[in-house]
Amino acid sequence: MDLIGLYPTWYEPGIGSGWVIGIIATIHVLFSHTAVGAAILFGVLAWIGARDNRPELIEFIRKYGLFLLVFSYILGSITGPGIWYSTTVGSPRGISALIHNFVWKWATEWVFFVIEVVGVYMLVYLAGKLDRFTYMKVAAIFAVTSYATMLAIVGILSFMMMPGMEEWKTEGGYLLGFYGDNTFAQLMIRTAFMFTMTAVVGGIVAAGLKDEAFKKWLLRRLAVVGALSAVIGISLYPWYMNSLPEIAHLVAENRMPDYFTPSILIVLGAMLAYFAATLIKPKIVTATVAGIATLAILVLGLWPGETIRESVRKPYIAGQYIYSNQVIGHDVPGMGVKSEIPTLEKVGFKHAHIFWPEEQREIRRDNAAEVGRTLAITACANCHSLSDTGIRPLKNYFPEKADIEGIKTYLHGALSTGNTMYMPRIPLKDDEAEALAVFIAGLTDPEAVKRYEAGDKTALLENRSDEEVK
Amino acid sequence: MDTAMLYALRDPLGIPAHPVIFLILGVATWALHIAAVHVLLGSSFLAIRGAFSGNDHWRRLAAAMVNTAKVAVSVAIVLGVAPLLFVQVIYDPFWYTSNVLSAWWVIGFIVILIVATLALFIFYALNYELRTKKARCPGSMIAATLLFLVVGFIMHALSVQMLEPDQWMEWYAPNGVIDASGRSIHSWNPWRFAFFIVLSFPVIGIWLFGYRRYLQGAGDEDQGYLDFLKRLGTRLGAIGTIVSLILLVIWMRGLPEDIAGFATGPWPIATAVALIIVAAYPMLLGRRLDQGLWGYTPILVATLGTIVVAAMREAIRWATLFGVHGYNALDYKIAMDWYSTGLFFITFIVMGGTVLSYLITVAWQAGQTEGTYTPSRTVNRMGTLSLALVVIWVVQYFGFGLWTAYA
Repeated sequence: MDLIGLYPTWYEPGIGSGWVIGIIATIHVLFSHTAVGAAILFGVLAWIGARDNRPELIEFIRKYGLFLLVFSYILGSITGPGIWYSTTVGSPRGISALIHNFVWKWATEWVFFVIEVVGVYMLVYLAGKLDRFTYMKVAAIFAVTSYATMLAIVGILSFMMMPGMEEWKTEGGYLLGFYGDNTFAQLMIRTAFMFTMTAVVGGIVAAGLKDEAFKKWLLRRLAVVGALSAVIGISLYPWYMNSLPEIAHLVAENRMPDYFTPSILIVLGAMLAYFAATLIKPKIVTATVAGIATLAILVLGLWPGETIRESVRKPYIAGQYIYSNQVIGHDVPGMGVKSEIPTLEKVGFKHAHIFWPEEQREIRRDNAAEVGRTLAITACANCHSLSDTGIRPLKNYFPEKADIEGIKTYLHGALSTGNTMYMPRIPLKDDEAEALAVFIAGLTDPEAVKRYEAGDKTALLENRSDEEVK
Repeated sequence: MDTAMLYALRDPLGIPAHPVIFLILGVATWALHIAAVHVLLGSSFLAIRGAFSGNDHWRRLAAAMVNTAKVAVSVAIVLGVAPLLFVQVIYDPFWYTSNVLSAWWVIGFIVILIVATLALFIFYALNYELRTKKARCPGSMIAATLLFLVVGFIMHALSVQMLEPDQWMEWYAPNGVIDASGRSIHSWNPWRFAFFIVLSFPVIGIWLFGYRRYLQGAGDEDQGYLDFLKRLGTRLGAIGTIVSLILLVIWMRGLPEDIAGFATGPWPIATAVALIIVAAYPMLLGRRLDQGLWGYTPILVATLGTIVVAAMREAIRWATLFGVHGYNALDYKIAMDWYSTGLFFITFIVMGGTVLSYLITVAWQAGQTEGTYTPSRTVNRMGTLSLALVVIWVVQYFGFGLWTAYA
């Protein structure tokens, strides 16, 4: 049987499943990076506090720790699996590729999570109870463990863009898939931003400290750490871009909006201004100001960064072999994976897709629009909304009142051949292309579907006389 | 949905070790996760009951149970990550389909769990003096508990839906027209759900024995409270087990025809025996319950009982997917990867075992100590070794990584 392992599709017409994943992912990045950064800050403060016998530092950890417990560990640990859940429903084969390549890495990360959760409770609730050397030791274990969770995940995130090493495609294996230049470039950038976020979020708690001298001492150090890490993070950006494959550069040049680079620089400038202001005048930091700064980082800083990471990997969703529409687009001989394109060329989606309604395996005039909708849900909806709203609405890519014939020609010429940058290759059988064209035409002109179903002879090229075609 | 289709949905990458390893890890970690969930639900129920009580013992228990619930929710979440990972490895065709078909509920799970957890923390933050003062905003604790039940129900439905591949097309394309909205929950089993929820009562009953022993170890002299805990634990264990057994029987009697034979097989019987042993064990211990580490052994026995329950749950899945639909999870293609397999087990057993033993020992001993806790030389060495192991892990990460990427 010529079957390909496509799952049902979840299509969210309002904002699109891509946005749902993006929102959850961005929130998680805020929580998780802050958690890791704060853990390291904890380690350092606990070390200084215990070494120099400064109870106010331990008290800060206790206070910040409770905030951190809720902000990062509770919300971070829910939104972490939350990304699994959202990508599972939005891109099941994408997450499956990551899971099946890196299950042991994730399982290893889980061991660190368990240690982290026990560690954070101990640091918060046993502050002042443990003797200072034991407390320092627990803090150090907690800090290194937290950073290890980032180490464990970064290669998986990198694989979403590309395998660590090109050799993975021919030789397979975890190491070649996980490690590469891109892995380390991402790791360094994320490490830098982890400290930036910690500095900003740390301000929320520091603002509430009663001891003014200590508050000033801490806010100034947070400002220095935040500013330095922001500059380092941005300066590492060219390394990250250089580690990307050629196709990603092409996509970035053609698809990223013009305001992207200026907006990144503005965000950097705003962050530096904020940290400079807190360095010079720590008094300006109130919980509200620090809270607004945190939100600003989330919206202005994280969102563009995650957007570019998401955009430049298109048309792939993982490892540069699975398309965003879940079809495996290339062979990976090292792992025994075969491209599904030949199967689609041979029998089409209508026979290869497991979750294809039986009634739609035969395409007729009276069901063409419905089959077209099924095709659009299957092959397009992951990246293109089928309604007026949501992510990149499909109808916006075709002229109003576009004729079915023209759309069909485009689908055959540009999509089936894979000649459109940023788009996966989508081989369509002739009747499938016609059905999809009918559906797309109906998005802007519902009458076109009615005319087609009524047997309008001029609707299709194949139904026109040679004279008309000329 | 025939067997060939189910096999076609498998990930062509294969898996990096024998599937039986993932099967066993899935069962074991699910058992730990559900045990934490039972402690969470059980402690939440008791916290609510105690918060509305005028009885001193109940109020003291309520205060302790809010603290327990607060930690249990973190533990339940973090322990839940592992079975969620392993189910995707060998049962990917079933888990992914079930999730996509109820996508909004899957997303809702995250939001509801966040709201529930925040509600629990709000109640905790508002009621530091619950033992002596009237409960503030008890609605937040009730809301938290109800929402925990809702997220439990969503997980339950996803687990049931994955066992019904014959229904999938009807759910996805009713009357031949695709409904890709993911707005519906398509299948659930009230008896199965009730069975797993009611298990919270015997589990929290057993937990109370451990809590009681802990208080004894810390020198708590309120004998009336200790007796109250023993009575309550025994009662919760006995009544909870009886109700669980009744629900188990109803669930088994209602199994679909093609696996009806499962109900009279060894697994339900083993489960029933395990539950009875767990409930009876504290009584069988008699006076030893108050002596040495014996007082903690009911928790160990309950953990083993939970593993039996988890194994039965897996056996039903196996009977359905292999017995009825011909899907053999153990013939998954293996793309053996020795490095990542070895790294996990060394991290899990050597590093994880050492570090967690150290942390838990310190936490436990500190809780039993008046004033500042200073660990013994042996415990200190464990700590140093723990830190060294974590650092060695990071060093090997960069060692292998830099060598792979740049050598």
